[in-house]
Amino acid sequence: MSGHVSIRLASERVNHCVASNNELPQFYTPGEVITGTQDFMRGHGTYVEDDSLKASVAGVMQKVNKLICIRPLKSRYVGEIGDVVVGRVLEVQQKRWKVETNSRLDSILQLSSVNLPGGELRRRSAEDEQMMRKHLQEGDLISAEVQSVFSDGSLSLHTRSLKYGKLSQGVLIKVFPSLIKRRKNHFHNLACGVSVIIGNNGYIWISPQKQDIMVDDNREDIQNYEMQNA
Amino acid sequence: MPLDYRRFNGPEDSVSYKIYTKDYIKPYEERYNELLDENGLRKDGRALNEARSMFARTDMVSQAKGSSYVEFKKTKVVCSVFDPREIPHQNEFSQLGQIFCEVKFAPFSCPRKRRPHAPDNEERALSVALRQALEPTVCRHLFPNYQIDVFIYILEHDGSCLAAAINAAGLALADAAVPMYDIITSCSLAVIGDKVFVDPTEAEEHVAKTSLEDSNINHGIVTMSFLSELKQISDFTQVGSMDVECITKAMEVLEVECEKLVPNFQRIMVMNVIHNFEQRKRLDDEAKEREEALNKKMEEWKQLMSAG
Amino acid sequence: MAGLLLSSTEKVFIIHGVQDDYRSDGRSNIDYRPMELETDVVSHASGSSRLRLANTDILVGVKTEIDVPKPDKPGLGKLEFFVDCSANATPEFEGRGGEQLANSISNMLERAYHSPHAFNLKQLCILEGKQCWKLYIDILILECGGNLCDAVSLGVKAALFNTRIPFVKAVLMDGGNVDLQLSDDPYDCKYLDVASGPLLVTLCKIGDKCVVDPSAEEESCSVVSLVVGITGNPKFYVTAEEAKNMPDVELKCSMIGMNGPGSVAPKTFKDAINQGMVAAKCLDKALGQALLRERQENTSFKKHSYGFLK
Repeated sequence: MSGHVSIRLASERVNHCVASNNELPQFYTPGEVITGTQDFMRGHGTYVEDDSLKASVAGVMQKVNKLICIRPLKSRYVGEIGDVVVGRVLEVQQKRWKVETNSRLDSILQLSSVNLPGGELRRRSAEDEQMMRKHLQEGDLISAEVQSVFSDGSLSLHTRSLKYGKLSQGVLIKVFPSLIKRRKNHFHNLACGVSVIIGNNGYIWISPQKQDIMVDDNREDIQNYEMQNA
Repeated sequence: MPLDYRRFNGPEDSVSYKIYTKDYIKPYEERYNELLDENGLRKDGRALNEARSMFARTDMVSQAKGSSYVEFKKTKVVCSVFDPREIPHQNEFSQLGQIFCEVKFAPFSCPRKRRPHAPDNEERALSVALRQALEPTVCRHLFPNYQIDVFIYILEHDGSCLAAAINAAGLALADAAVPMYDIITSCSLAVIGDKVFVDPTEAEEHVAKTSLEDSNINHGIVTMSFLSELKQISDFTQVGSMDVECITKAMEVLEVECEKLVPNFQRIMVMNVIHNFEQRKRLDDEAKEREEALNKKMEEWKQLMSAG
Repeated sequence: MAGLLLSSTEKVFIIHGVQDDYRSDGRSNIDYRPMELETDVVSHASGSSRLRLANTDILVGVKTEIDVPKPDKPGLGKLEFFVDCSANATPEFEGRGGEQLANSISNMLERAYHSPHAFNLKQLCILEGKQCWKLYIDILILECGGNLCDAVSLGVKAALFNTRIPFVKAVLMDGGNVDLQLSDDPYDCKYLDVASGPLLVTLCKIGDKCVVDPSAEEESCSVVSLVVGITGNPKFYVTAEEAKNMPDVELKCSMIGMNGPGSVAPKTFKDAINQGMVAAKCLDKALGQALLRERQENTSFKKHSYGFLK
């Protein structure tokens, strides 16, 4: 029995470069003039000064017709209605949960936009409010869809579909949201028995496929664990 | 080192006169040879595996919720536990209560040097070890967002002060009626070569801590605190240099020693309850007597009134 | 680390993984994450090292100063450890936030290095009873991604291995004062003997089993962890031919401590110490090999400094 230990020296470091042979797109840095002409529209990551369009973030240019945007490499998630996101519950508040979704502001999940047990058509009673922590606790992970975007940019989520809701056992992986493209389907079941949820916000959830069975099998363990930590 | 401006500090470069005495600069071998006499007994007449007799009582400090005094011959420790209070300067809610421990040496407690008023490294380390030992035994979920303060004052230090502090704190917590899973007891031992000194004195600890550079013998001090009913180790600290075999042996010895202390603790706690009952009974009796006397007087007055 | 939030099911997932000896990042219970080491990174220190263990980043610098030995230990030098948790690592360390953690780590190091079997303080003696070297070992925590203790102890040993102490040419007694003459040549110096220096191994109890090198997520699943300091084997720090002539040494425990609010059963405790011994031996071997390679580059003047550039 012996563990695997590897210590590499700094001089043995290998720096991988992904775009070694194909050409790199042009990078813009803040303050750099993108264009001096007036025929373009100002998009995200740009500003107008002295009749010219300048970049305000470091990144690559994206042009849609006349609209110029600069997309930074590292950015927080900017949500759009209909996006699938994975988030973590931070706080239980009055009639709503605060959810961390890697966007600039914390997102909101209203009590009215979750499916409660016992059918869709049901009035939210005072008991439901008191049961909120039973349903979703601080630290719990959920998958959800963006329902609407508030004027300040914060997101309102909903889980009104069977595919959304609380996530059980698995691993969360965080990547930059700019690496994830919007697709029709963000829920994938791989042939190897793994199910993956690729959130638009850069949070990826990887879990075994037979999740529900696993939870039932291990209910006792989970309860025991919760008892210990109570 | 932050200086304590509230007190008048002595000149910084003063040293104890003892460092100029022959006793202080004695070589290692001489110190080692002094520990045992020709019969294999220690300086205070104990056998190697014999712990010092313990004296302990509770209710030392009347203003504290619970307090205790523990004495192992020349190691004397006072502990007081105060009511749970809200955790100061905290903005987050904590599900479990916290235990705040502070261990303080009296300035005159140590044989080698005077202790400064500001907490030094050793005191801080002892406080951390004490908290580590107490946390598993206190039912902390009953005090969400609260903190229990445990203060230890070491009046005199003659070895095994951490063990004494843990014992005192366990007793004081029980006296303060803080809910606990188990009685916590603690004991320490010093290892020098193949000899194991149970419940070492300061002189023995001093020899065990240092060792000759070129020799390869085991040496060191081990302190363990044990929850005897749950059979769990709540804290284990070791310094020095020992092989695994020596550590396992030390663990077994300490386990037995810790369990030996439990009946004493139980007796102290039971005696406390009995004592309290007796006191209350006495008070009740006295109250009854007074009432009877009063009633008698009333009767007398009534008779006087009716007669008059 | 307290800043980390995990749901109870995620914790169960981790616990089950540990039970099956298969962790979230593909390691088994006794594997370490990959490390990167560079020594001699700080030009103004006598010895320095930077160790990166996955997301944990440690920078260690050793400064040498001259001091007067303690009267009861006239022939020994002094070591002093100081850990600084920089607020760069996490905002929690801001102000006095990291003080407790820093104290506990420096305290553990002090205890681990206390025994002469772990580090021989005699090599720091200049003139018995009058002058000795004092080493200030300053440890900066630049990033923390779990398992600070192990990373710090590796960094410290590497930095001490890299430490050069100038040769003292002559010591003169001028009345009551000591007059030292140091060599002017900066290359005229000696390396310290730290081959037996202890490494700390954290054994994190998750479920019923113990794992080494816990990640921050795994740390938040466990209520108690054990820190064991094990002395090093000098054989790993010399070339293979030299090692043949060296006597076998028995590894010893120079420090044991517990962290976290939980308690352990005696049986688990014993197993954990044995597991720690095995892990420490592997670590020590890997560290020795890396340091030897580094020194070879150093002496052949081929070494470039890489520092913090990636």
